[in-house]
Amino acid sequence: MSSKRCAVCKYFRRRCPPDCIFSPYFPPNNPQRFTCVHRIYGASNIGKMLEELNVEDRVIAIETLCYEASCRIQDPVYGCVGLIPWLEHELNITQTQLAKTRAKISFVHANYVARGEPFIQQSGV
Amino acid sequence: MSSNPSTSSTSGGGGGSGGGGPCGACKFLRRKCVAGCIFAPYFDSDQGAAHFAAVHKVFGASNVSKLLFHLPVQRRHEAVVTICYEAQARLKDPVYGCISHIFALQQQSANVTPKILEGGNVLVGFAAHVLSQGTPVNQVVNLQAELSYFQAHLATLEGPSPQQIPPPQPTTLSPGITINDIQTPTSLLGSYDLSSLLEPMMTPSWNMQPPNRRQIDPRGFMSVGTTRALDMAPSQGSTGDLRELARELLQRPSSVSSMPCKTEDSNLPPHNIRDDN
Repeated sequence: MSSKRCAVCKYFRRRCPPDCIFSPYFPPNNPQRFTCVHRIYGASNIGKMLEELNVEDRVIAIETLCYEASCRIQDPVYGCVGLIPWLEHELNITQTQLAKTRAKISFVHANYVARGEPFIQQSGV
Repeated sequence: MSSNPSTSSTSGGGGGSGGGGPCGACKFLRRKCVAGCIFAPYFDSDQGAAHFAAVHKVFGASNVSKLLFHLPVQRRHEAVVTICYEAQARLKDPVYGCISHIFALQQQSANVTPKILEGGNVLVGFAAHVLSQGTPVNQVVNLQAELSYFQAHLATLEGPSPQQIPPPQPTTLSPGITINDIQTPTSLLGSYDLSSLLEPMMTPSWNMQPPNRRQIDPRGFMSVGTTRALDMAPSQGSTGDLRELARELLQRPSSVSSMPCKTEDSNLPPHNIRDDN
């Protein structure tokens, strides 16, 4: 067996062919990466997904799959989906804060206008 | 027409012998639905089959059943909802899956943050101008310090920004936001209406409580006294009103318990599984 087997072929103890679809994305020095993904998705599902993608998209797909798998292992109930409500909440907060800041600036501007003083407002706010 | 994989028949959506037929999973797999079918409570025979088809294609039935088997029964429904969401997101976007939604939210937040900081700078400048008319300098300095703290806090909302994964093309994402920026605040979720995940598939509407681990509320930073200040009639237009507002900006609590959001309770995914070489 070649010592240059990818992590997948090493895991399955098989010969790693030159055109192994997994080898660019699962190097032999990081077996944990494949173990994580295999535990959630299964090697055959990963292989099918890769086959349906363009070569240039496969790297990103594997990264996102690895991320989702690791999140699912850490949190078997929510996985990475658990992040979405938190982010939406944070976005809500920042948008509310922006609205308040704009309201404050408008108030200040009105005060300057009322006093007849020049007010230089920064653009983009 | 419910898109929730779990129908109202939580007693068992047609699962098992003597029930109303096979569950959606067993219907899809064309197998006999046994009495203790693990999928039966969550995939009804009507639309459950469609949901299960997506789950099976992405995860595989045996993987999902192992996942569910290791969960307590009361958590399985939520797990099924999130698994269905991930599966459908992956089928819709085979490259990014549901990560694209996460990226989009981070990007939106990143777009808003600089505007808040810019507005804060405007207000600080105003406060400095007003208070410099006979006010001790250290109060202006304190306001600057508060603004710096606020800037730092808002910066933490964006998370770390190593550049490793190009973001999805349709949204114009900043290069700094990558998959490593994504945190997993698993302790935050509490009770959410997860069924909304599957209705407008990519735009779930959440009913959630604010994360209880957050100790800094950025709304509190700029809002103390703001309501009172805004309640003042602008037509008064006197220096006293402006001084009052400036004083309120300065009198905001300067001590906060800790830095927010970032990490102490978040479970970051094990990035060490990746080969960073």
